[in-house]
Amino acid sequence: MNFKAKHQTIFLDPNSQVTLSLQAKEKLNVVLSPSLYWVQKVSLPVKYVRDVKKLLPSLFEDILPEGSYSYSAYKSNDEFYIFAYEDKVILDTLTKQGVNVALVANVYFAQSELGDISQSKIVTQDESLYLKDGLLTMVPRSWVDSSETLNLKDIELSKHSITLQQFGHIVDNKSLYKIAAVVLVISLLILSEYIITSQKVSDIQDAKEKLFAKYKLKSTMFQNEAMFKKYNFIHKKQVNLRETVAIILGLKLNTDEKISILELKNARLNVVFSGVSKGQEQYIKKALKLKGLSFKDSFKADSWHVEIAL
Amino acid sequence: MNRINPLYVGLLLVLFVVFLAFRLGSVKNDLVEAKEEYAKTSKLAVNLSSLKSTYADRKKLQNSLRRILALSTVRQANITKNEKKSSVKLSSQSMDKKALNVLMGKVLNGTYNITSMKIKRLSKERVSFKMEIKW
Repeated sequence: MNFKAKHQTIFLDPNSQVTLSLQAKEKLNVVLSPSLYWVQKVSLPVKYVRDVKKLLPSLFEDILPEGSYSYSAYKSNDEFYIFAYEDKVILDTLTKQGVNVALVANVYFAQSELGDISQSKIVTQDESLYLKDGLLTMVPRSWVDSSETLNLKDIELSKHSITLQQFGHIVDNKSLYKIAAVVLVISLLILSEYIITSQKVSDIQDAKEKLFAKYKLKSTMFQNEAMFKKYNFIHKKQVNLRETVAIILGLKLNTDEKISILELKNARLNVVFSGVSKGQEQYIKKALKLKGLSFKDSFKADSWHVEIAL
Repeated sequence: MNRINPLYVGLLLVLFVVFLAFRLGSVKNDLVEAKEEYAKTSKLAVNLSSLKSTYADRKKLQNSLRRILALSTVRQANITKNEKKSSVKLSSQSMDKKALNVLMGKVLNGTYNITSMKIKRLSKERVSFKMEIKW
């Protein structure tokens, strides 16, 4: 049983004048004309195709004109068939001949699929496929005796298909890998810094929790700030009280003038001076004002009352 | 043949790096905020702890007040002490000015939360005294 879908196979040649008319959704296989690739048959002292692939650019170095090439190879008996091709040229030819690139299932070299033809085949009005020394080439039709037209209908395709690099002309794989490697390194650096920074945040939060335990703080900052405000208010009031009492006790009174009452009540300091007659209090008021105290004063009976706001 | 355009792959990689950079920026902001918050909490904790031990450490305040009242000059003034859970009231109907000077010198130089006080001159040498201290 053959589960592999059977697609239509076309022969792609840049000199073909025929524009292919294919149904829009029909997948197809493409056999490349020798005009679309360079091929060599070589014997190399290596065993595997993967070893040959590394050598391909240097093997074609002196043959190929300027361009962006992809390489392929396969082994037949003890020899290797090596290929060089320009993806963009093939893709442009496909487009030019009306083939939707997205519908191309597989791409093959004529060499791998038609390398065993017994006689030359007519491909176009002017060209024929010709096998010489095991290599397929396109030659003018007049050079060879061709009676058969190339027929791909019943052809059994090999496994030697290639994948076209649709964007190879924009950026080649090596550059893409290099860019990806650089991006990966940058990503790793950012990621490691992210982890380190996250750890630092976590450490600071742990340290903050220890701070709460060490100083027996309330669970919320709101509560702690409220407590701080309360005690700070008490502290300021007490400092103010001591400074004010020091000013009062430091007043230089006349011999018959005395402080008879010193009272702290409702955050106010009341001082009663005895022996101070009306008009005589001015020098004391001046002294208090000089010290920056805000106060109210009044005379009751023979005493002078001063009320200082703390 | 339907291969992804490498420009899309590149764009995706750049977006990934931008996303990581954004996350890093965010966590760096968190770090700055955490540091500021820690510094603020640390300062508040030290100040609050210091103020609490000054004005709200009942045992410490009771002990220091007991020492003041035990001074021989002050003890002779027969000061009445009325101690409650959150405050103490000191009073004397009549005490001499030497004892008052010593007592007031010690109390005012200490860190007591004096909420009320009354000193009344009775004669050249004697005064009446009332004071309330809270903790």
